[in-house]
Amino acid sequence: MYYLGIDIGSLTCDAVLIDDNEKILASSVVPTGARNHEAITRATDEVLRSACISEKEVTATVSTGYGRKRVEGRLTAVTEITCHARGIKALLPGTHLLIDIGGQDSKAIELDENGQVVDFAMNDKCAAGTGRFLDAMARALQVDIDVMSELDNGAHGDLTISSMCTVFAESEVVSLIAEGVKVNEIVHGLNRSIASRTLSLIKRIIPDIIGFPIAMSGGVARNSGVVRAISNALENKVAIPPMPDTVGALGAALIARERYSHN
Amino acid sequence: MEDKSKLIGFTCAYTPLALIDAAGFVPYRILPMGDWPDQAGQILHENLCPHIKRILDRAMQDDIPDLSGIVFMNSCDAMRRLSDAWQKVRPNDNTVLIDLPISKDDRSVSFFADELNRFAERLSQWGGNDIRPEGVENSIGRYNELAIHLNELKKRVNLGTLKDGSTRLQAIYNKAVTEPIENVLELIKQIAGEPDVIADNALPIYIFGNVLPDPEVFTLFESCGARIVGEDLCTGSRMINVIEIENNDKSLDGFKGLARATLSRPACARTIDPSNPGKMIHDVVEKAKASNARGVIGHIIKFCDPYLARLPSVREALKKEGLSFLLLEGDCTMRSIGQHKTRIEAFIEMLR
Amino acid sequence: MLQYFENLESGINNAIKENPESASARKRYTIEIARLGKRLYSDTDRKAWAGALVPFDLLNTMGVTSCYAEFMASVLVSTDIGMELLENAEQTGYASDTCGYHRAIIGAAHKCLMPIPEFLISTTSPCTGGQAVLENLARLFKRDLFVIHIPQDESDQSVNFLADQIEDMVEFVANHTGSPLDKNKQCKAIENTNKAREVMSDVYNLAKQVPSPANGRDLSNFGIVMPLFFGTEAAVEIAQFYRDEFKSRINANNSGVPGESLRLMWLQNRIQFKNTLVKMLESEYKAAIVIDELNDITWDPIDPNDPYVGLARRSISSPLHGTAKRRIKHIIELAEAYRIDGAINPCHWGCRQGTGARGLIDSSMKEIGVPVLNLEVDCVDRGNFAEGQLITRIEAFMEMIESHPSPWKK
Repeated sequence: MYYLGIDIGSLTCDAVLIDDNEKILASSVVPTGARNHEAITRATDEVLRSACISEKEVTATVSTGYGRKRVEGRLTAVTEITCHARGIKALLPGTHLLIDIGGQDSKAIELDENGQVVDFAMNDKCAAGTGRFLDAMARALQVDIDVMSELDNGAHGDLTISSMCTVFAESEVVSLIAEGVKVNEIVHGLNRSIASRTLSLIKRIIPDIIGFPIAMSGGVARNSGVVRAISNALENKVAIPPMPDTVGALGAALIARERYSHN
Repeated sequence: MEDKSKLIGFTCAYTPLALIDAAGFVPYRILPMGDWPDQAGQILHENLCPHIKRILDRAMQDDIPDLSGIVFMNSCDAMRRLSDAWQKVRPNDNTVLIDLPISKDDRSVSFFADELNRFAERLSQWGGNDIRPEGVENSIGRYNELAIHLNELKKRVNLGTLKDGSTRLQAIYNKAVTEPIENVLELIKQIAGEPDVIADNALPIYIFGNVLPDPEVFTLFESCGARIVGEDLCTGSRMINVIEIENNDKSLDGFKGLARATLSRPACARTIDPSNPGKMIHDVVEKAKASNARGVIGHIIKFCDPYLARLPSVREALKKEGLSFLLLEGDCTMRSIGQHKTRIEAFIEMLR
Repeated sequence: MLQYFENLESGINNAIKENPESASARKRYTIEIARLGKRLYSDTDRKAWAGALVPFDLLNTMGVTSCYAEFMASVLVSTDIGMELLENAEQTGYASDTCGYHRAIIGAAHKCLMPIPEFLISTTSPCTGGQAVLENLARLFKRDLFVIHIPQDESDQSVNFLADQIEDMVEFVANHTGSPLDKNKQCKAIENTNKAREVMSDVYNLAKQVPSPANGRDLSNFGIVMPLFFGTEAAVEIAQFYRDEFKSRINANNSGVPGESLRLMWLQNRIQFKNTLVKMLESEYKAAIVIDELNDITWDPIDPNDPYVGLARRSISSPLHGTAKRRIKHIIELAEAYRIDGAINPCHWGCRQGTGARGLIDSSMKEIGVPVLNLEVDCVDRGNFAEGQLITRIEAFMEMIESHPSPWKK
């Protein structure tokens, strides 16, 4: 039997296919674009093609993400909070705090010893510190976003970017470049600002995070500079699962299996 | 008092400093200074004024000197929540919340006098001296002496005859609320001895609002071409002014006079005169005119409801009098004001 | 607005006429609100604007039709002109950082959509912003203002101070109406208040049943609006309708939410404009809002012959007033009494008094094992209402509490 999880986010649509033993058979990440249905179809087709499975063979599908109710034929729609928790439980059991920073929102999710959600905090009113924010900063610095993650090497300063509004932060970065501040210090400053903001989000649900096993998911988890900054701010190691951007889709697939078996 | 802190923390300009002094303590205002991480929102909510949030941030970072106690005045919603949060963040502190009536009618004065009595008892429990009427009178006298000297200094600042006047005056206000009176009087006497400088042709500006403790802000105003000729801020002249006790209020315990004088002092926008709704608006206009200012700057910290509610009417009233108005919204920091530099400069240029 | 209230009343009356069985307690309560609205907008009644914690029993007895700004704001924003009023307030310079209830009233006042009162009575509680709005209205309408300071604690000194102010208020009103407070009418009014209190207590107690006869809409805004009718027989009747309805649901084994599976508490503010959140909770999760924080009797019966101290204690005891410590104690008591699985805290934009205690409430409820969902929402301005985002949070919260039994179920 095969179970499909689809995570329709604002920037990307991710799909993960698992078998009855919870083994990941295939995954895909496609841009969501303006048309959800097309992105859902593309992500699904890609993952089925990779696994050499036809659509009819999929036993059950669970969808998540902001577009979760647009997936036809789904078993159910489950929020990304629950799906991310389920996904990280499978990939990094024992995680107590999951930080998810995606394309334009960020979440802090507290889990109990069974990987169940105990509390959560979200910031989706503002893209500060998210993938979109980093894209804008990379543009301002005229560097590739993939290269940016290593650019803070050697930076030690205390610079922080005071504006967390994406638009004003971009202006601030441009001003700093004009003043001759080195790119690595600016990137370091950006990372520290994101970390500080993330810490505020976390502390809304867990005031004291010393000793907590922490993991991170979402596209921004691939940015080692941001991960380092968050780790420093938390004074704690932050574990990154393989394929951090598909944790939500994996969680959805696992829930599909659990709910189908239960029914 | 031995081996104990001599300091009593406070956060609101309505705090009766003379009472603290009469108990043998030194009032210490926890100013919203310093650049600590923004954590207060986790204990309360982000959308409270930066004044109380920054105070709470200091508490959370333990950036508070040793206190024998801390007094909160029930002046507004934000202060009430600060009082609540303090007890969570620093549960071992001696704290008291003193009710502050909204107006100054006789009933309110009597009630507030009882509250001051309660505060006096609390100060005594915290290791202070028993407060006697002559002690209150004596302390009022000490603060009045300070207020008079500050007024003299203010005159020179307004005339522009004191070098770096408004910056230094703000620094003195800060000192006056965090150190013993004697230290401040000593400093003022030194400054009083300085010769006059020739006033420049900076533009006379009246400033009103609430919390603006950083002296560097006033340097910024001056660098933009403004001379502060009148000021009504709770971290400035509203903090310390002459207390006059009416004959009818001279009571056995000294509290009634102090109660009425406190409720009658230059008011924050939270205080209302029911017989004259909108008095605060009228006061801003009259004081701006009396100071011969060419323009008015309002500095309000974000989320301050008493001021936000009155600003539209203030703007309208100033316009009617032909007084230009610049509103600056800040977070008590130099950084937030720095972002307004262009606007301040443009305002001054406009008025020239 | 007069037309709005007339239509509201006649619409419900017609519906009841066509189908007498549809005469629910909620409809009857809404009819009373419509009647109040009509009186406020009529040219016949003597009117006043007051703060939410003013003793309306006395104003009703003295023939003054009154309400508080937030009540009228919530009615206005549920109409088509709601958004316009908020925009109007901002255009007059009122910051969008401030509470939407107050912006709506200011907008309405500037657009001459507010009934002009004969006088105003403000209270320092629930909030500083509300106090400021009434001062602004007094200035705008050029009307006399009476101010009541509600002390923070329940000491005898504080209670007496407030009681004296209430007595002064009566004198102020008498000077404006030309008629002193009739002692016999006062007695009768307070007896009505006490009776309403007793019956409301019954209603709230019935809602404690598992499953509850209450659903999310029955008692929405009930505890905060009923004080407007205190002193009148209408308050007693409304409460009796609710009690009878709840009793009959219980006798028929009908719960407010069929198949109730989760029980929720709603803190402070309801969202005042039409939205799908409560319906979604009930239909998708069988979650019943069995208690609102403001739906509780926190005061003792009042002495009809000497009501001032009792009225003062009532105002001071309100969940809208006082320290966070007292508020949290009350919330925890309700959580236990109603065996709730979770609480929803709409953190109303611009609210310092209520929303300001978010973190303190959250951490205290966590200590007793009851999760709280903090919804960053504007309860009044639908322009700030991001339904999709709120639904995601609610759904995640429900998924979370479904897999965590409440402390009362362990």
